[in-house]
Amino acid sequence: MPWTNQPGNGSGNPPPGGGGRGPWGRGPVGGGQPPDFEEMLRRSQERLKRILPGNFGGPGFGSGGLAIIALAIVAVWLMSGIYVVSASEQGVVLRFGAFAARTAPGINYHLPWPIETVDIVDVTHPRQITIGDRPTESHDADQSEDITQEGLMLTGDENIVNVNFVVYWVIKDAANYLFNVDRPDAAIKAVAESSMREVVGKSPIEPILTQDREPIQIEVRDLMQKTLDTYGAGVTVTDVKMQKVDPPDEVLDAYRDVQAARADQERMRNEAEAYANKIIPEARGKAARIVQEGQAYKQRVIAEASGEAKRFLSVYEEYRKAPEVTRKRMYLETMSGILGSSNKVLIDDSAKGVVPYLPLPQLKTNDSRSVTVTEQPMSASQPTPAGTTP
Amino acid sequence: MNRNGLFLGGIVAAIVIIVALFSLYTVNPREQVLLLQFGAPQRLVTEPGLHVKVPFLQQAQFIPKMLLNLDAPAEEVIAQDKKRMVVDAFARWKIVDPLRFYQSLYDETTATMRLTPILSSDVRRVLGSQTFAAMLSGKRAELMVQIRDEINRDADGYGIKIVDVRIRRADLPPQNSQAIYRRMQQERTREANEFRAEGEEISQRVKARAEREVTVLTAEATRESEILRGQGDAEKTKVLGAAYGQDADFFAFYRSLEAYQDAFPGDNTTMVLSPTGEFFRYFGAPGKK
Repeated sequence: MPWTNQPGNGSGNPPPGGGGRGPWGRGPVGGGQPPDFEEMLRRSQERLKRILPGNFGGPGFGSGGLAIIALAIVAVWLMSGIYVVSASEQGVVLRFGAFAARTAPGINYHLPWPIETVDIVDVTHPRQITIGDRPTESHDADQSEDITQEGLMLTGDENIVNVNFVVYWVIKDAANYLFNVDRPDAAIKAVAESSMREVVGKSPIEPILTQDREPIQIEVRDLMQKTLDTYGAGVTVTDVKMQKVDPPDEVLDAYRDVQAARADQERMRNEAEAYANKIIPEARGKAARIVQEGQAYKQRVIAEASGEAKRFLSVYEEYRKAPEVTRKRMYLETMSGILGSSNKVLIDDSAKGVVPYLPLPQLKTNDSRSVTVTEQPMSASQPTPAGTTP
Repeated sequence: MNRNGLFLGGIVAAIVIIVALFSLYTVNPREQVLLLQFGAPQRLVTEPGLHVKVPFLQQAQFIPKMLLNLDAPAEEVIAQDKKRMVVDAFARWKIVDPLRFYQSLYDETTATMRLTPILSSDVRRVLGSQTFAAMLSGKRAELMVQIRDEINRDADGYGIKIVDVRIRRADLPPQNSQAIYRRMQQERTREANEFRAEGEEISQRVKARAEREVTVLTAEATRESEILRGQGDAEKTKVLGAAYGQDADFFAFYRSLEAYQDAFPGDNTTMVLSPTGEFFRYFGAPGKK
């Protein structure tokens, strides 16, 4: 960041010509009136004339060139007091080392060195300090090792966590920032580290990795602010942001595996539920089918039975009118129906002796079904094979 | 007059400038000045600004007024419970009595050299009297205050004040870290296994419950179905019983005929029979028997 590296201008040196600092002419000139340089220049020249011997630079003295050079040097010296404070900055003017004024953004003038000096600090732009892993900016292996070590800290339950965080801060009071603490930026970093470690050291690892980030950030910020206030550092810690909070690399895989296990658990649950959601409705459907089938059976059986009963009753009605004849007719009809459509082997009682020679297996193989009806002990003597053609 | 006068003027100016250089000094807000006269402290100047001293006779000794840093190197401390830890602490201090400071420590460099061992040993002593667990608790802030007070006591007479001591790091030595990593790994593995086993449990539970439900559903449906079938059969029995009961003999005859028809349905039945019986009554002898 361009503004992280600008803690004023050291202690005793005037700013280089006042130029090269932000855009000229930009910035509000609101509060004070812009200094009138010509007027100042003129006045100081007069003062100079008064101080120096009366005839110096007068027409009676021959070396006018020397005077012009002297004047030019003086002019440059005076000009060196011009400086620009940009919109986000504040100037602190010291006169012989004593605090003289704060200057607002715009073009400003201070009496040249060694009378007055100015320190310009950026008071608006937040500055940041990153602690822990940084985007690799150094190629030095030792240093990057140091940086990873920097983020490793012990938690309250004696685990180790790798915390990478950024502290944002602004200068609250430029004079305090400049004069109260030796190397304030280093102090802020050290305080940030120790505060984070103090807070993390009180908490078990699990909440640090998960839900407690926000409270930790706030606690660290408050602790830092409190400490820096006791130093009178003149800064405000605006924000502490934990960027990456991980278990150390050595155990990262194990942590990832826990995540995977959690996902596995979820997956198994989902699969089981999907299975349940599939088989239960199917079973419900099947149950409905079974019930319907039962219902269908019931209705079918009842309908058939009542039909059968009606049929029987109808026949019986007629049978009663002429039982003997009807009985005989029905018998004969039935038998003719049965015998008419089947293969027959008639064996008279007198042909009893051939029975053993009947090719029964052959008869059987000819047909899928064969029934042997033997009404009485047979006594036919003449075999009467008939209808054995397939 | 002119040439000599100018020369004289120049000399006077040079003397004035030299005297001014040796008699004037500026004090900025970061520092204060102890005026020494032939090395003996004379006066303390804390007000920033332009100040005058007697040239050559007096000397201005600049002494910092800011809050200064004191870093102790990271070192191993053995806690009360014999656990080792690497502690990296720093202190912030300032000079409250410049005269005493000047007499005892002289300047910041010497002060750092003298104060660093004090910080180290006090850190060691205070933390050594504590268990390791105390470091990892709310007690840490208290311990830091205690260290600060110890140093202030030890550094009494140096004209300084320790404003704050902070423990930047209190970590385990690398070999202990490895042990912790192993433990963490084991814990995670255990946790992962637990999750997976729980997943298996949930899965079994859900599936079994679903299967039970399926079985129950099917059984209940079967029960209902059987009841219905029974009702149907009962109705059938009742209806047929009522019908057939009117003439049991005829029923037997009628039903037998029907059964014959059903039993010998088609042309693929082979019968071996003798031509006797009712059906063949007229088969051999057309006359009356």
